[in-house]
Amino acid sequence: MKYSGNIFIAVAIFVICAALFCGSAQAEDYNALESRVSAGILNGSNIIVTALYIAGALGVILTGLHMLRLAGAITSIARLLDNEKDGSADNCELSMLSVKKINELRRDINERLAGRDSLVARYDKQIEELKIQLQISQKRETNIEEIIYSIRDAVIVVDEFDKLLMANGSAGRLLSFDYKNSRFKPVRELISADRSEFLNFLSNARKSRGQAARKEIKFVDDDRPKIFDCIVSYIHDNNQQVCGAVAVLHDITREKEISNMKNDFISHVSHELKTPLASITAYSEMLADDEAHDEETRKEFYAVIQNQAQRLNRLIEDILNTSRIESGLIKINKEYVSLAILIEEQLKMIKGYADEKSIEIIGQRPIVFDQVYVDRDMMSQVIVNLLSNAVKYTRPGGSVKIKTEIDDAESMIRVLITDTGVGIPEDEIEHVFDKYYRVETNKKQAQGTGLGLNLVKQIVEKVHNGRVFVKSRVGTGSTFGFELPLAVKNTAATA
Amino acid sequence: MDQKKVLIVDDEIHIVHVVAIKLRNNGYEVISANNGAEAYELACSMMPDIIVTDFQMPVMTGMELVEKLRENEQTKAIPVIMLTARSFAISKEQQEQLRISDCLSKPFSPRELLVNIEDILYQNELVAETK
Repeated sequence: MKYSGNIFIAVAIFVICAALFCGSAQAEDYNALESRVSAGILNGSNIIVTALYIAGALGVILTGLHMLRLAGAITSIARLLDNEKDGSADNCELSMLSVKKINELRRDINERLAGRDSLVARYDKQIEELKIQLQISQKRETNIEEIIYSIRDAVIVVDEFDKLLMANGSAGRLLSFDYKNSRFKPVRELISADRSEFLNFLSNARKSRGQAARKEIKFVDDDRPKIFDCIVSYIHDNNQQVCGAVAVLHDITREKEISNMKNDFISHVSHELKTPLASITAYSEMLADDEAHDEETRKEFYAVIQNQAQRLNRLIEDILNTSRIESGLIKINKEYVSLAILIEEQLKMIKGYADEKSIEIIGQRPIVFDQVYVDRDMMSQVIVNLLSNAVKYTRPGGSVKIKTEIDDAESMIRVLITDTGVGIPEDEIEHVFDKYYRVETNKKQAQGTGLGLNLVKQIVEKVHNGRVFVKSRVGTGSTFGFELPLAVKNTAATA
Repeated sequence: MDQKKVLIVDDEIHIVHVVAIKLRNNGYEVISANNGAEAYELACSMMPDIIVTDFQMPVMTGMELVEKLRENEQTKAIPVIMLTARSFAISKEQQEQLRISDCLSKPFSPRELLVNIEDILYQNELVAETK
């Protein structure tokens, strides 16, 4: 109502002004005409003057009526708008032109309103979608963080300015920084100078323009060097520009140790295989060249060739059996045998080697009831490996003693081989049965492959459910031994 | 001709034995040691004309033995033949630097070793005569 009232007042003022303006204009025309007539320009034209007066008056009236009609129409539009607001439109009061205009306006307004509603609905939908996407994104980010935190390898994510975006606990520990409270800080400020090799690699690798870079980096902590395989990959934005980097540091210290042990092993095996082969080749050549001048020397040469061939065979068996047991492809032929008899056989095998080094072998009276259910060849290999090891690491003039014990309570037989050799340092004892492992301080004492004791352990524990053990003291000697279940009790138990 | 003295060094008793027989059969005097440390003592006291040594031995290796021999004024000129089971154990540079006359890979031929010893001793004699 207020709106239509204001329009009405405005229209009324406009009409009055228009009427006054038209009236004065016509009056001005009349006065000018009268003055002209009185001046003698239109002398004797009373009819025309009268007509002009009438026309002036009619003009004023018509103008006023026109204005009033217009004002009425506008008032009607205002009222219509008011009524329309109240829901009671009366189009009959409007001219066709006005109705058309109003309809157009209404259509436009309705279209705009409808457009606004659909826009609002669309925005609402988009907001909902964005909320869901935000939740998914947050969940995904949380998942990524959880995954990265749970990785054992050190992971560091930086932006294009080498500022930290993300790092896990392993990275924090390795590079000595508080990984949880260091976000957006330059990594150079976080990581200490003694890790500069990594930092330099990270920044130098960036110069490779987005290609992944890889380097082995050594970190030294508490005098213990650790080797890490460091891989830096780059994060690209939509324009394929590098916008960050991910560095993953994987601890390969153990792999490196194994690799070094394997290289040592190949080198040692080559030496170990070639040594008996050298003897065989040299002695056979001497025989062919008639360098053995008497029968006794010839027999001696034949014996050396035979012994060295056996030594070569033992070594090849060690290598092959280690591989076979590990792969599970070995054929095991268990039978009831006396361990005392096996020991006696192997003592004869090792005697020549012990005599060469002037080492005394001390056996004991065989135990009668010592039947075990074992693979004869494999158990022979266990005994000869332990005996030859004892001889190898004992200085000339020393002794090697072998004895067996029966443990009735446990239904076990125990074999102990004690030497007066160089002994093993305490910190290395736990590794002596490891594959390829050779006691560092004893490497100079004798050559070896690092397979013999590992094979003993595999045959006793993996194939025969026994147990190996060792006691040693540097400079005094070592006792290597093994336990096996007694066959008699085993049979009784199963029966 | 004076009997030439050869020092054989190896921890493998069979190798020492077979080389000693080969050399004795061909008129050489043979002395032997089981490791580098023993060999160095013998070289200083017995002054052999040539040394045949294994590369890898306990207590003192063949390389360590040669290094010690070259540091000693008395033994620095003794020619050395190295026996090794590891083909690439000694580089050409090391061989030249330590003046190792020859390297033979195990398994080796005693016949070939004898020829090499004779060649080296002959070359040494020629050098000594020209001086």
